[in-house]
Amino acid sequence: MSKRPLSLLVAALGGEGGGLLADWLVAAALAADLPVQSTSIPGVAQRTGATTYYLEIFPETNAALGGKRPLFALYPTPGAVDLVAATELLEAGRMIEAGFVTTERTTLVAGIHRVYATIEKMQMGDGRFDAARVLEAAQHMARRPILFDLTRERRTAAQPINAVLLGAIAGSGELPIARGIFEQAIRDSGIAVESNLAAFALGWEIAEKPPVPRLPLPRLSADERAIVEEGVKRLSDYQDAAYAQLYLARLARVRAAAGEGGGDLLRETARYLALWMAYEDVIRVAQLKSRPERLAGIRAEIGAKPDQPVHVREFFKPGLAELAAILPPRPGAALSGWAERRGIVDRLHLPLRLRSTTVTGHLLLRLLAAMKPWRRRSHRFAEEQQRIERWLEAVMRAAAFDTALAFEIAQCGRLVKGYGDTHKRGLGNFTAIMTALVEPALARRDRSAAAAVKRAREAALADPDGNALSRALAAE
Amino acid sequence: MERSFAKEVALLRRGDGEIFEGEGILAITKGLLQAGVSYIGGYQGAPVSHLMDVLSDAAPVLDELGVYFEPSANEAAAAAMLAASINYGMRGAAVWKSVVGTNVASDALSNLASAGVKGGAVIIVGEDYGEGASIIQERTHAFAMKSSIWLMDPRPEHQRFVALIEKAFELSEASNTPVIMEFRIRACHVHGRFRTKANKPPAISRKAPLAAPDFDYNRICLPPATYLQEKQKIERRFPAAIDFIRAHRLNDHFEGRLGDIGIITQGGLHNSLLRALSELGLADAFGASEVPILALNVTYPLVPDEITQFCAGKRCVLVVEEGNPDYLEQAINALLRKADLNTTIIGKAVLPMAGEYTGEVMLEGVGRFIEGAVPSGVDLAAVAAVLGRAREAKARAAALLGAPVPKRPPGFCVGCPERPVFSAIRLVERDLGKINIAADIGCHTFSTLPPFNLGNSVLGYGLGLASAAGVAPAFGEKRVISIMGDGGFWHNGLTSGVAGALFNRQDSVLVVMNNGYTSATGQQLIPSSTAGGRRPRISIEQALRTMGVSSVRTIRSYSVGRFARALRRALTTGEKGLKVIVADGECQLARQRRIRPLLRKRVAEGARVVRTRYGVDEAVCTGDHSCIRLSGCPSLTVKDSSDPLRVDPVAHVNNDCVGCGLCGEVADAAVLCPSFWRADIVQNPRWLDRTLFRLRQWAVGKLTPAAHAA
Repeated sequence: MSKRPLSLLVAALGGEGGGLLADWLVAAALAADLPVQSTSIPGVAQRTGATTYYLEIFPETNAALGGKRPLFALYPTPGAVDLVAATELLEAGRMIEAGFVTTERTTLVAGIHRVYATIEKMQMGDGRFDAARVLEAAQHMARRPILFDLTRERRTAAQPINAVLLGAIAGSGELPIARGIFEQAIRDSGIAVESNLAAFALGWEIAEKPPVPRLPLPRLSADERAIVEEGVKRLSDYQDAAYAQLYLARLARVRAAAGEGGGDLLRETARYLALWMAYEDVIRVAQLKSRPERLAGIRAEIGAKPDQPVHVREFFKPGLAELAAILPPRPGAALSGWAERRGIVDRLHLPLRLRSTTVTGHLLLRLLAAMKPWRRRSHRFAEEQQRIERWLEAVMRAAAFDTALAFEIAQCGRLVKGYGDTHKRGLGNFTAIMTALVEPALARRDRSAAAAVKRAREAALADPDGNALSRALAAE
Repeated sequence: MERSFAKEVALLRRGDGEIFEGEGILAITKGLLQAGVSYIGGYQGAPVSHLMDVLSDAAPVLDELGVYFEPSANEAAAAAMLAASINYGMRGAAVWKSVVGTNVASDALSNLASAGVKGGAVIIVGEDYGEGASIIQERTHAFAMKSSIWLMDPRPEHQRFVALIEKAFELSEASNTPVIMEFRIRACHVHGRFRTKANKPPAISRKAPLAAPDFDYNRICLPPATYLQEKQKIERRFPAAIDFIRAHRLNDHFEGRLGDIGIITQGGLHNSLLRALSELGLADAFGASEVPILALNVTYPLVPDEITQFCAGKRCVLVVEEGNPDYLEQAINALLRKADLNTTIIGKAVLPMAGEYTGEVMLEGVGRFIEGAVPSGVDLAAVAAVLGRAREAKARAAALLGAPVPKRPPGFCVGCPERPVFSAIRLVERDLGKINIAADIGCHTFSTLPPFNLGNSVLGYGLGLASAAGVAPAFGEKRVISIMGDGGFWHNGLTSGVAGALFNRQDSVLVVMNNGYTSATGQQLIPSSTAGGRRPRISIEQALRTMGVSSVRTIRSYSVGRFARALRRALTTGEKGLKVIVADGECQLARQRRIRPLLRKRVAEGARVVRTRYGVDEAVCTGDHSCIRLSGCPSLTVKDSSDPLRVDPVAHVNNDCVGCGLCGEVADAAVLCPSFWRADIVQNPRWLDRTLFRLRQWAVGKLTPAAHAA
């Protein structure tokens, strides 16, 4: 068969330097006297969205071709791409989905770290696409997968991904262009030459000995014991040893009610009970924000050098609700009732913007944190214990006749979290599900209600306006 | 400008027989100069934004030749500029994004086409159709037909289309008719090579000025001259064009072994067609096809005898024509009918009526044509195998992936000054309920995508306010919001929107995004750009006041709380009439490009520079992601929680953060949660910085218990 153009498809996100990668490839092909064509989709398509660059290189020099010019296409064709390079795992997945990666033909060079799309990030729960499936598809669909995780396997997060990809493409040997020519292209571009050359070398190394691609292990879902241990630790820190004892006592009741085979149920109950008992209030926030090790963590995260002072400012805005929460039950209830009637719960706030690295700012945080013993006598504490009991009661009653239902009720604890509006919305959803589905099911000892509770819980996490939940509840 | 072509414009000086290697956009510019163009106007817009950038950067080359270039106020202005070619033998060119730019230009275009031209008039349009397009999907073809303007769709091969640019001017002059030359998105950005010719200094130009004005009533668009002009179009210009196209072989005819079938294609799709044929084993890598091909570099008008000669003796001919309606397929069918030829024309029966002809679509369509036409001497099993392979790859991939990969449309950049405006609108909606928002064209149209989903209609560039005229009164007491970018404001929004709203006493709220450039198209300058003091700056706020808008407020867009308060006031105040808020904040892409090297230099020089970063306390975040729904910043993302109890990922600010502060502002204004912090890092600290910091650390250490079991 006569020679055909090699087709290369680069998938990137706007702003990741995919254009520069294409430019380097073109420059290298030109320097090697190979006919080349590249094209891209310009304009707003490149504002942070997914974009592609497409190149064709003819594997014979202009000199050898004489006057003949190969005909180049402007689009990749499914099943007819020789090399796909992707800066990120989901974009590699997008190329696979489109049929550009095939076992007959395609070398797939891709970074397998994740940059999440807005639609994945904005979900109320966990909206991330299943990375393991993309990785599996990459390994199955490519003739030659060269996959690497820059963010994990080496501490090289600062390596420009486009130059690493260029190195891996060069190192794969799929293009008839020598290493030195690629490196010269980087030098000639005059852009961050040193770091790009280093990244290129890393890419070359990766292609020579492709690492076994491993995703960051899906966090081992801790077993029941580990969760209970963590819960005890959390609650001792949050309140005191007696509070941790209460946690264990509550769990013992559930265990007794669950009897045999309640493993998953106990684990999830232990998880959400600990989280619920350690509900978020100003005292807790102040405690977390005044931890001695916190500043070191922030310094590491932002890459501050040892000699550089760092000032931290908090976006901390307690309001009437937070004040009412830490008052004793009577005045607390009175204040929140009054604020509710006047419709000013969301109006009055104290924007502290406090600077936790100053002495006064830190002192204020410490004072708030020191109110911990007071919490037990607060309005919110009493309220939360009641809610917790109602929830546990439901879990235990369900456990008596249907473990699956009990498990789903336990998982509803996931809905109650956060601050302000988030907490109000979550609690509202939780209460709606309890009232509309759980309590009737318990009254009827309905063994078929578990699926409905699960659907409703998922609906509650599907949209913040509660439309999906209303529809789900109406449908049951 | 987002992209500089300062280095590449040297290519524009290449002389006879030299090799040019570069982007399509540059090659088009070179083609214009080789053709002796005298003046050029245009308006930016993908995919021809960079053509405007190249021309701006090419000022020295243009000056040497005496070529005049101006970035026009809008496409209508650019089209009107071609008036110079009506009376004088000057070659002129205009550039814009189509179909939208052609829509805006169409009044001037109709008049230009009716009057006819003496000097060649060529309009370069970027046909923004298909993958990567940012506008409504229509064809420019209809404009050409209704105004009798000739339409060229050249093969995307540098040597050929550069030669055709020169031919376009000649065609225009030979038929006294303007010519539109369309380039598809990928063709504009294709990197290729061709052999150059020396630039031709224009016959009439700034360097060789006109002596006296020329008056001819027959070139004025007023009856009775217009009746004469319409007749001329049909009786003289149309036949002259057809003669020229035939005589100069503007269309390309390629012979092929399989003589009983053929393919007629738009020139712009020729390479995609050839690739499909070569995948199917019916063409080689150099463009030699077994199927005869007629590539139409001129798609309007068709040359009747070219079509009939090509089809005569063929059983079946495929027409490859992108988009709808299928003008070419209809016209070819009509021509064959008139010539009493029985060749079967297949077009949209195997290729889709709507959508771009990508590699996949072309392969599938051409394959199905071959399978149906059954030409003698073709191994159909091999064709079926190729088609099957492509289909199977997608099916296998879908099964392995399990679900469609989430879409990743473009969005606001990190630190974009337009994002906070929509965060503020979301906050105001929490109190006032949903508000009708007349959106506009620009980066701000991204507000209609997740996470904001704000904007009820988009009617065209600069038409945000105008598009609220009917709906505003219909909402009664509840005011509506219109959005307009500064680009759209100067393009036409000032008159079509603001003047109209004032004149008609519209009671609504307008938000003008003042980011300093037409940023979606790549940061070209507009009248309110400061451009480092090189241009006189016209203030938007002043323009509004001069026109009589009594309620104008300019607010820094990042101050979400302030912005939301101002917006709430404008929506609820008893004061009637138009209320304008100018959202002030420079395009962050442009800003970062400007200040980053500057700051780096200052740090290197040892100056005290404070860097700001935002972050999230992982232990405080509960993983609800409200902050993301109110911001959508790419640097505000999620990560696994390190807390074994929590299953949902927590919010996290990554290293792309430019410290605009929106996430903190939103958390504060929306009273979301106390997870956000802002850190100011003092680089090259002074003695006082260091001492104060140490003192504070010592004191804070005294206040803090040693272990964290507090």
